[in-house]
Amino acid sequence: MSPMKLCVPGESLCSEGDCNPGAGVYLRHGYIYSSLAGFVLKTTEGEKLPVISVVRETEAQLLPDVGAIVTCKVTSTNPRFAKVHILYVGSTPLKDRFRGTIRKEDVRATEKDKVEIYKSFRTGDIVLAKVISLGDIQSNYLLTTAENELGVVVAHSEAGAQMIPISWCEMQCPLTHAKEFRKVARVQPEYLEA
Amino acid sequence: MAGIELLSDQGYRLDGRKATELRKVQARLGVFAQADGSAYLEQGNTKVLAVVYGPHEMRGSRSRTLHDRAVINCQYSMATFSTAERKRRPHGDRKSTEMSLHLKQTFEAAVMTQLFPRSQIDIYVKILQSDGGNYSVCVNAATLAVIDAGIPMRDYVCACTVGFVDETPLADLCYAEESGGVSSLALALLPRGGQIALVQMDARLHQDHLEALIEAATTACKGVSKVLDEVVRQHLQEASVLTGE
Repeated sequence: MSPMKLCVPGESLCSEGDCNPGAGVYLRHGYIYSSLAGFVLKTTEGEKLPVISVVRETEAQLLPDVGAIVTCKVTSTNPRFAKVHILYVGSTPLKDRFRGTIRKEDVRATEKDKVEIYKSFRTGDIVLAKVISLGDIQSNYLLTTAENELGVVVAHSEAGAQMIPISWCEMQCPLTHAKEFRKVARVQPEYLEA
Repeated sequence: MAGIELLSDQGYRLDGRKATELRKVQARLGVFAQADGSAYLEQGNTKVLAVVYGPHEMRGSRSRTLHDRAVINCQYSMATFSTAERKRRPHGDRKSTEMSLHLKQTFEAAVMTQLFPRSQIDIYVKILQSDGGNYSVCVNAATLAVIDAGIPMRDYVCACTVGFVDETPLADLCYAEESGGVSSLALALLPRGGQIALVQMDARLHQDHLEALIEAATTACKGVSKVLDEVVRQHLQEASVLTGE
């Protein structure tokens, strides 16, 4: 691999006409400057201008953004909403937990008013959700599970065993064979390991 | 001025430096593994440790959250053994609070906070040995720590404390010079664009001398930035060798 060029914050990389700005750079007065200390990466995609970005070996902290799929753990439930801790953004683990809320009306796409949080999530469940809003000063990140691919992925039954999903709204404990209600995520087959 | 001669006739200062000479700067990045970013910087005898955490979710008072950018939280403290006489109150006193505020203002000018809405970046600076130019050395150390944490910045922030003695600006004051009744000015600069992030002075200076003093401070800051640049590049080289790039 050819040695990549080192750069430091504030270093001028190229002019705006030569490349498109990517991650870790900023635009000022028609020039692209680096905002991180790392290596310059230039990627070309076909006909378009190359994209210039700066990468570091250790990934900097990622923040959940609107529309991102996040993995979270339910910490408390309430008849109106469930509070969660966001653990992963996409496939990147976060160093620090962010707090989120899944409101009752954002659990399902259909029959929103008939949702019961107790029958959708329980404390300790791992849930796949999507960020719909960064929230305002008072509230946390707002999340939704109103899609087929979103919802509970891992849940433990009252007996303590990991439950197996049987339908979009039920999971069964392998030990006691008791069924419990959850809003189950239909994970795409390509994401399941064989 | 009576008392100690701060600038001799041949142009030498108390520690043998010339008027525009900076103290020796030695720095290291990534001294702590647990923090997101950390740096240790020595400028002459002043030794400072800077640690950066973030960006992470807002802690403490949620009402201070900003919807469009990150809040920078700085804390400046001095170790009890950092001064000649054991310091009774390392933090919480007025001087420390004022310094923390200055550091916060300085870094809000350089860090690209719009990329991290509703989050908080913590910068903690601790003086291990104080020998003058405390604010400036803290700014330099904190810049390295922020770079180590991978938080995007517009440019380095370099600072220097300068003083005026016998019609001559002295760059990078040490403690003896600062307490010797010199009018000192601290300047924090973004070197590439030459933009000033913060100017601080609480002494008396004739306005005719101000231009020359700021000019001297700017030159000194650019000198500091060259040294810091070298340190950062060295660190990146070492890191890339270790990861086998």
